Amino acid sequence: MFRKTTLKTVCALATASLVLSGCASNIDNAKGKPSVYEDVSTTGSVGGVGIESQDVVAVTDKMMRDMLANPLLTGRSTPPRIIIDNEYIKNESTSVVNTNMLTDRLRIELNRAANGRMIFVGRHFSDMVQKERDLKRDGTVDGGTIRKTAAQAGADFRLGGRISSLDAIDRNTGTQSRYSQISFEMVDLELGTIVWSGLYEMRKAARDNVVYR
Amino acid sequence: MNSIVKTFTAAVMGLGLLAGCTNLPSDSTRLTERTAPITMNSVVFSDYNLSRTWDGGIFGDGERYRLTVAQHGQRATATGTTEVYAVLRNHTDYDYQVEARTQFFDQDGVPADVKPTWQRLTVSANSLATYRELSTSTQPLQYRVEVRELN
Repeated sequence: MFRKTTLKTVCALATASLVLSGCASNIDNAKGKPSVYEDVSTTGSVGGVGIESQDVVAVTDKMMRDMLANPLLTGRSTPPRIIIDNEYIKNESTSVVNTNMLTDRLRIELNRAANGRMIFVGRHFSDMVQKERDLKRDGTVDGGTIRKTAAQAGADFRLGGRISSLDAIDRNTGTQSRYSQISFEMVDLELGTIVWSGLYEMRKAARDNVVYR
Repeated sequence: MNSIVKTFTAAVMGLGLLAGCTNLPSDSTRLTERTAPITMNSVVFSDYNLSRTWDGGIFGDGERYRLTVAQHGQRATATGTTEVYAVLRNHTDYDYQVEARTQFFDQDGVPADVKPTWQRLTVSANSLATYRELSTSTQPLQYRVEVRELN
């Protein structure tokens, strides 16, 4: 009788330890979640109140179309020379944004769409150009196949702009709201007059604690 | 006599229920817009919650809408690009946040111009709002505007 009870206890213990040994493994043998590509022009799965990809796309698209409809910029018999870089774009907002993303996309899309109606001066590449010019003038390399000019191209217009914002937080609900304003202005580099202006504004509210980097 | 009244009441209630069923939901596969041919120089609601029509229901054709297109058209800008506009009308008592984009096609129906981008727009309750889009190309273009509710 005693031996039978002991045998039952031993069996129960053995079963329990077998079940528990299954829980003891640290390996979670499950399929991982793959990365998901999202459309850059729509709000993704992670969204907050800052300037995001869909805003960069929307801003630059709007400005590009607007510039191409401006007769002072594209209605000239000689295409104007334009500088678009982030040298005079100021981020005074609370949003973390690399302004190069705005100016690079704007310049590239505009250059592709303008198709010769505007000429873009790569002032951010002027060091690179000057080095090559010096090598050619020194005789270290030959003159290339295109042409020789007295100097690099001067520009007629240059883009300036500013990003500013206004924040508000509801302390009861934790909802954060941000009004962002992105302004662009094209300045005549001789007169200093502004020949074109574009404004993009938006207000976003979110409760998610999204961190922008 | 009592049974006649009961039958009549039941029939009226049944008809009332059936009338409710004639409103096809936005995810129905019987909506006209789902298989309508693609037309140029037009404005369409790609979100059937905003507007939808159907035909061949129990009570014949039907229509349900929150927003409609009051008018639309195109004109050339000073630099020769094309400006498209669409005036949207909100028939509800609520502000609607929508987004719209324009696909441009050349005269042969070939997609032209740059990739379209969604543009946000608020149509206030019982009001009008105008959506505008500019092309980048100077060639003569046809357009197709798509409107959906903002996600």
